[in-house]
Parts: sequence; C-alpha cells; structure tokens
Amino acid sequence: MEMLRVEHIVKQYAGHRALDDISITTQKGEIFGLLGPNGAGKTSLIRIINQITGPDSGKVFLEGREIERSDIEYIGYLPEERGLYKKMKVRDQVMYFARLKGLSKSDAKRKLDEWFEKFEITSWYDKKVEELSKGMAQKIQFIITVLHQPKLLILDEPFSGFDPINTELIKKEILEMKKNGTSIMLSTHNMNSVEEICDSIALIDNAKVIVNGSLKDVKKQFRSHTYAVQFRGMMFGFANALFADFSLVHSEQIDDDTAVAHVKLLKENSLNDLLRTVMPVVEIESVNEIIPSMHDIFIQAVTDNEKSRRDLFLNEKGGSNE
Amino acid sequence: MSKIGLVIGREYTSRVKKKSFLILTLLVPVLMAGMGFLAVWLGMENDKHQKVLVSDPRNLCDAKIYIGQDENPPATFYFTQEMVYREDFETMEKYKDYDVFIALDPDVITNKTINGLVREKISSNTERYIAKKLEMRLEEYFAIDEGIPLDKYRKIKQSYKFNTSLVGDDPEDLGCNPAEIGQGVGLGFSVMIYIFLMVYGGMVMRGVMEEKQGRVVEVIVSSVRPFDLMFGKIIGIGLVGLTQFLIWFGVVFILMIVVQPMFIDQMAVSQMDLGTQMIPEDVAAQMAEMNCIYAALYDYINWPMLLIMFVIYFVGGYLLYGSLFAIVGAAADSEADTQQLVIPIMIPLTFVYILSFSMIGDPESSTAIWGSYVPLSSPIIMLQRIGSGTVLIWEVIISLVILAGTFIFTTYLAGKVYRVGILMYGKKATWKEIFKWMKHK
Repeated sequence: MEMLRVEHIVKQYAGHRALDDISITTQKGEIFGLLGPNGAGKTSLIRIINQITGPDSGKVFLEGREIERSDIEYIGYLPEERGLYKKMKVRDQVMYFARLKGLSKSDAKRKLDEWFEKFEITSWYDKKVEELSKGMAQKIQFIITVLHQPKLLILDEPFSGFDPINTELIKKEILEMKKNGTSIMLSTHNMNSVEEICDSIALIDNAKVIVNGSLKDVKKQFRSHTYAVQFRGMMFGFANALFADFSLVHSEQIDDDTAVAHVKLLKENSLNDLLRTVMPVVEIESVNEIIPSMHDIFIQAVTDNEKSRRDLFLNEKGGSNE
Repeated sequence: MSKIGLVIGREYTSRVKKKSFLILTLLVPVLMAGMGFLAVWLGMENDKHQKVLVSDPRNLCDAKIYIGQDENPPATFYFTQEMVYREDFETMEKYKDYDVFIALDPDVITNKTINGLVREKISSNTERYIAKKLEMRLEEYFAIDEGIPLDKYRKIKQSYKFNTSLVGDDPEDLGCNPAEIGQGVGLGFSVMIYIFLMVYGGMVMRGVMEEKQGRVVEVIVSSVRPFDLMFGKIIGIGLVGLTQFLIWFGVVFILMIVVQPMFIDQMAVSQMDLGTQMIPEDVAAQMAEMNCIYAALYDYINWPMLLIMFVIYFVGGYLLYGSLFAIVGAAADSEADTQQLVIPIMIPLTFVYILSFSMIGDPESSTAIWGSYVPLSSPIIMLQRIGSGTVLIWEVIISLVILAGTFIFTTYLAGKVYRVGILMYGKKATWKEIFKWMKHK
C-alpha cells in the first residue's frame, strides 16, 4: 500500500533549480532511503513534503489523497538542522511540540511519561535543555519527533551528531516503529545504515532522481556481472582459459596452490559458460557474485550522471558552434 | 487551543515567568519614585539654616526684619552698624560664625543693588528668601522716606502680567495653559512608546534570531505555519509589554490617588495665605502654577481617552515596527548582523522621537499634523496632540486606519521574508535579497 507519492515536483530558486520533475513513491511500513550528494535537493524535497515550502509545480499525496495542511500532524520530522529552546524546561518543551502536533494536553502528558520511562530519563523533566549533554538533548529531540505517533516519519541525517550508543538506540526505535506500521523516509550519507535498514531508495543528484527502486532491484541494476572464483590450480592456466569472453579484473594467491580471481562476464556469457571454460584447467572451490555496496552504487551513479551531463553540455556547445 | 494560541502562550509565559521581567516591572516604578525622593532630599540638604550678617552703617533697616507667624525661616538676620569690609568677613575671627555677609551700601536705595558674600553655596530657595526679606524692608524705608504709604507704594510697584490666549479659548483660563501641560503629558507617553517600541521590537528580533540560531525553527515550522509562528511571537511579546503597562499604570494610579491630597493641602494653604496680607508675588505665581498643573492633571486631561489611545497606538506601532524587526531577525544570521540591518528601521524611529520634542507648545503645527498621520511616526506624535486636547476624533480615526493598513501590509511582507529567511543558515541577507524574498510567490 502506498504511503507517500510525490509527482513531478519542480522547485526553482533564484539562479538554480533545486528540484527538477521529481517523482517518487514510498510504501506503507517500509524504510525509504533518500540519498544524494550535498546540495542535490534532498532537503528541498523534504521541506515540500513537510509543507514548510511549496513546490512551483507538482503534487504530494499522502495515503493516496492530495496532502493538506492538517496532514502535518501525521508526519514526524527530524530536520538535519535541529535544535531545542535552550532556556526551556524539558517537560515544557516536549509538551509544547506535542501540542503543536495536535495532541491534547492529557494525551501529550501520557505519551511524554511513556517515552521518558522507556528511555529512563524521568529525572530530566525539570532540567533546562542547556543543562543537558548533547547526547541527552538528542534523545529529547528524537522523542519530540515521534511522540505524536506519526504515520510517516522523515529523518534527515538522523545519525549525524549522535554518538554510537544513541545511534544504536535510534536505529532500534526506527526498526520497532517500522514493525508497528510506520513508514519512514531516511535521508542520509551513511551508506552502511542504508544497507542495513532501507527497503528501497531514491538517489537524487542535481535536482533529478537518477536511481530509484527497492534495494534489491537497485543492486541488481548495478550488478557488474563479476564473480569471485576460488580455485585450486595454476593462475596462469586459469587466466589463459578466459580468453576473449571474460575479463580478469583482479587476482589473489591465497596459499601455494589456492587463488581467488574476480572475473567479469563479457558479451552474452553466463556464469555457466564461465564455469564450463575454467573447469578443465582448475578445481573450483567456491563461486560468489560480487554485489556492489550502496557506497559503490552511490559513487558510480553520481559519477556517471556527472559525466553524461558534461558530455551533453559539450555536445550542446559544439552544436552551437557549427 | 489553536496552534497560534500555543505559540502566543509560549512566547508570553516564557518571558513573564522570567525573574528579570518581575524585577524590571517592579523595579522601574520603585526606581522612578526613588529618584524623585532623592531629588527632594538633595534639595533639602542644601537648605541648611543660614546666619546672615548685615552691615548697615546708615541703619536703614533699623535692625528689624518682618517674619510671619507661621513662617519657618531658612535664615536669621543679624545687624551691625559697623562698617564691615569683605576682607574683614573673610578673615576676622568674630565673623566666623556667620554664613552669609551682606553690606548695605549707603547708595543701595538709588542703585538697587545688594551684594552678598557666602561661605558655601546656598540653595536658590534661601537666596530668594534673603533677597525678598531685605527688599521688603528697604521698600518700607524708601516709602517712608518719600512720604508714600506703604500699601500704596506696593500697589504702584506691582508689575503687569501679560497673558495671551487662543481665539475661542475660555478667557477664564488666562495665565494657565493646561493644553500645553496636556501635550507635555502626551509627550511623556510618546517617549514611553518610543522606548517600548525599541525594547519590544528588539525582543521580537532577538526571539526570531535565537530560534534561527538555535536551529529550533525548522522543527517548529514542520508543525506551525511560518506566518503563524511569526505572528504568534509578535503577539505574545506584545502581550508581555501590555502586562508591564498594566502593572505600571496600576502603580501610577495608586500614586496619583496618594498624591492628590497633597495638592489639596497646597491649595488650602495658598487660599489661607491670600486672606492675610503679604504674599510675595513669586510665591503666588508658584502657587498659581501648581494649581494650573493640578487643574490640568485632574480636570483638563481626558485620562481614560489618553490611556486607551496610548494602548491602541502602542499596539499599532508595535505591530508595525515589530514586523519590521522580525524581518531583520529572520534575515540576520548573528547578533552582529542585526546591528547593520536594523539601521533603516532605527533611523525613522529615532528621527520621529527627536522631532516629537520640537512640537511642544505647538501641537497644531503642520509637522505635528502630518506626523500624526504618517504611520511610521503617528504612534509617537499623535499622543501629544491627544494630550493637548486639540485633536478631533475623525483625525484620530484616519490616523489609526492608516496605521492599521500599514501594519497589515508590513506584517504580510514580514511573513514572506520570514518564511524564506528563517531557513537560510550561515549567511546574512542583504536588503536587496530581502526585497527579492518579498516578491516571492
């Protein structure tokens, strides 16, 4: 079931286009990774979803219907640029934000107690934020984001500035919320956490979506058809056998008669073809496909995108000279 | 409660609950009263009883000075027929106990000059007393010398008072111009409005900037419309100001009730004295002035109207300037940025403030009339005209309509700038950029 759908969003700022025809869809109960280099337009998109700013054109749908002002109460947002009122007491502060999200006084109070008991921080109630350590303030910030039980949770760089202990804690809470049916949109540069918790992703670069889909599909899309083959026998013989149909990307001798070779399939060849080719010369111990990490995919996609833009730019320039 | 109500509530309570608010609110009236008492006390300190030595070789005064029954003289006169010179008084041991020395020259009657020598500076009150007593004594001598009855002489000698009144004014009011006093009171309110526009406008600016600097703003605007946040902040802080006024008005109201009997006492004394014979004319003039102030304060000035208008103009002016200050707060990235950005707001405000002093005595000058319509100046200038009682009700209405129209417009613009500015981190906007934001869709 669809949770959020963004259709053909365009946002123009003086001098540059922050979002250029962006369309993405997220499903209920999934963790969606919104990725992209700095300045790609992620925060602009998130602000539009949160109705902090409006798009120049395009629409946002929540659970299948066009988003309204009141829907803000179903969204929890942890911005990258975040902070709290330093002079305000923790309890007053959490209550204030909860009530701004539409909770009644008694509901807010109940939820506040629940979360503070869960995090074992009830002794902080009457402390001012400026008296708290950074890690403590981060917990409060997180509670403020989720207290009103949002259907859609948007976290912009949730792990930046959090210490490893808090990062683990937050990760655990995110997964638990997912289990309870909350949809989560995660914008981050931390590719490890993307691999770990995201179900699908969209990669934005230069105001456009360049990669989009489930994590599995994206990985499939970026597979390089390269396999790690561990074998017993001579590397020389192995390399010779490959000939023109496969390319040896990398090789490594493990001990006297065991080696690992990374082989890329060329042309229409399959893994079976590769195995058939090398089986006569060596004894195969194991074969694994080398799956690209999100880190690699990110770098490759952005680099390719830049290259094609540069080419396009040069072509246009060349064309106009003629 | 609506979201804007929540914002107002937070802005209000977070400030009113502060100790500094309580201290300031209570301290200011106490400080003002304290300063008043200090001035009185310092004045009294100078009024040390003076011993006056009068060297009167021709015995013009016959060693006599008239002192009234109920008088509490600040000085005592001692006469000597010896010719005492300045140097003698300065150096000789036997004159050491005297504080003031006066030599009545033989020709004092003709040249009408009395020279005195004091060991320490004396208060002007005491000086006037000494001069008055000697003058009256010498007048007696002079009248007798010339063979004129004393009362006839005094009658002839009395100077003429010159009063002007406006066409259409009550001729009974001669010599007392409560309109001027009213305008003065109005000016007092103008000054208060000026100070409060600065204080509370500045508070709005800092409030906006703190939210931006503390990065809390993006968290809030994901729940509240930026405009509601800004407007709630302006209203909340304005209510803090009104609360402060309410407390101060209460204190002043109580003080006025306490002070009123003192005025009545003064009047009673002056009437009693008039019944008896000799009231020196300057004392009489002083009393008349007191009575005039009394009449202006308690009868002439329409206090309810003035106070209501004060609140209305404060609110109007505050909404106008508050929204402008909010623009600066949203555009600035640090306290230092605001100093530069705030200049275009401070210049008109301060100019109007200075201008308002030039209007005293002339509440119907064209500057005053124009100033009371132009929205940037009307909150400060109109109160003077209201205080003086010269303004017509439709003039006030027009001025208020213009003011309201302007603050609605500036608030609208501020909302646009605010929406963009609060999310622009890391750099100060220029006024050029601010104008560009105003044009944003």
